Amino acid sequence: MEAILKFDQVSKDYPNGVHALKKVSFEVSEGEFVSVIGPSGSGKSTLLRAINRLIPVSSGTVWLDGQAVSAQKGKKLREQRCKVGMIFQNYNLVYSLSVLQNVLHGRLGYMSGLKGVFGLYSEQDKQEALDLLEELGLEQFCYNRASDLSGGQKQRVGIARAIMQKPKLLLCDEPIASLDPSSAKTIMDLLRDMSQKRKIACIVNLHQLDVAVKYSTRIIGLSKGEIVFDGTPEELDDRTIEKIYGTSRENLMMGGTADDKADTVDCA
Amino acid sequence: MTKRIPLIARDLRKLYTGFLIAAVVLFLVCSFLTEFNVMTLIANGDAFWEFVTEDFLPPALPKSSRIPGILSSVLVTLALAMSATTIAAVLAFFVSLFGSEKVSPFPRAARFVRGFATFLRNIPALVWAFILFSSLGIGTGVGFVALCITSFAFMVRAFVETMEDVSQDCVESLQAVGATFPQRVSQAILPSCLNGFLSWFLYCVEVNIRASTIVGMVGGGGVGLTLFSYIKSFRYDIALSIILLVAAMVIMVDQITARLRKEIMK
Repeated sequence: MEAILKFDQVSKDYPNGVHALKKVSFEVSEGEFVSVIGPSGSGKSTLLRAINRLIPVSSGTVWLDGQAVSAQKGKKLREQRCKVGMIFQNYNLVYSLSVLQNVLHGRLGYMSGLKGVFGLYSEQDKQEALDLLEELGLEQFCYNRASDLSGGQKQRVGIARAIMQKPKLLLCDEPIASLDPSSAKTIMDLLRDMSQKRKIACIVNLHQLDVAVKYSTRIIGLSKGEIVFDGTPEELDDRTIEKIYGTSRENLMMGGTADDKADTVDCA
Repeated sequence: MTKRIPLIARDLRKLYTGFLIAAVVLFLVCSFLTEFNVMTLIANGDAFWEFVTEDFLPPALPKSSRIPGILSSVLVTLALAMSATTIAAVLAFFVSLFGSEKVSPFPRAARFVRGFATFLRNIPALVWAFILFSSLGIGTGVGFVALCITSFAFMVRAFVETMEDVSQDCVESLQAVGATFPQRVSQAILPSCLNGFLSWFLYCVEVNIRASTIVGMVGGGGVGLTLFSYIKSFRYDIALSIILLVAAMVIMVDQITARLRKEIMK
């Protein structure tokens, strides 16, 4: 399969001397569901934001859909960003606007400047947004202000906005870190369905190991800016986990893994 | 022997005592420098009270033929404040977009935009008025410009703060979507900050209604000029009526804008 995304020896140094990424190289192909795991400060967010150049890299090249996004600017860069949907931990919606307007923001990158400024979306886009909201079970909220929704609903709006971009790649920055367990499952299921149905490659930053193992086709382990593991969930053994997090498995909070299952059943 | 137990740490107590002494010394030095003496008020008290009771009180109405002119001058003052603030707000909005590192497309220039605004703001409207009158002559137009400059500078600062408080996350998400800078402004910054902007704008209207009276006194037209002409012709009783009128106007506008701001911030 063709690689949609390719990192070639990418490094990022912040002005304060932090080396967030150190010569990171990997490829992601169509349809993959990649989880990036690692402790806080290991460079997960930097890695994700280097892909659509929300953070410019210091050296190396990020190839997105055959073009070097790390060298692009202006219009070219915005065209590349259109191809990448992004989902945030804090949803990053415009809370004073309606749900529908927030979803339509996904189209801004495709519109001429002035049309976008005045929010003159095409009827076709609006219809698509409504259909998408219906698919996500949010059709009755489409004219509510985004601030009225619950956390899980807000994240679904975030997903709808990303899908409206018709992206080739979906970046999710800890999409379930602020959600309750039930909403978190809904969101992860949705992300998996969306990426499979629409053939979108997905890169998800996660803190929840069990979720990463359950949903991903591939896991990348980051530690201090370096990739220390890159393989399938089955290959992720205790030793690798220790290498990623720098501490043994017993010291990690993990829910729903094989060892704990018996306890959970007893409690129930 | 009973030793008193201190209630606060000794070094803290020294600090407080030091502050108290410093404050007293500062007051003494300052009053010496300004040559203000409480005794003058008491010594000249008679003259002061005579002025208040004889010249000022009771408030008198001017000739009835003058009343429409005075009322219209009040309106001019109101209009001056409103229009100057509105124009300043529109300009300030566009400039403030370049005054925040997090929003501006040229983050390095943001400090200079803010510095420029701070510089303009730290020169009071009255001083601007004097500068402009000596170069452009007396008139409402010049008062307008003087008010515009200060409230523009003030609102740039206030708008920048509002944007920094509110809109980082949604700006990032629209950037990720591939939106242009004007699109990010109109679709993310403006909707999330509009209430904050309006609230600052109304506050600025309040301030400018007071300021426009003063700017009017030195030549900017409106009720300030009318008031000053009565004072200069020693008709203090009529001046008092106008002062009361101005106070009523300011209180009324304050009430209205305060209520509007409360509604907006809901």
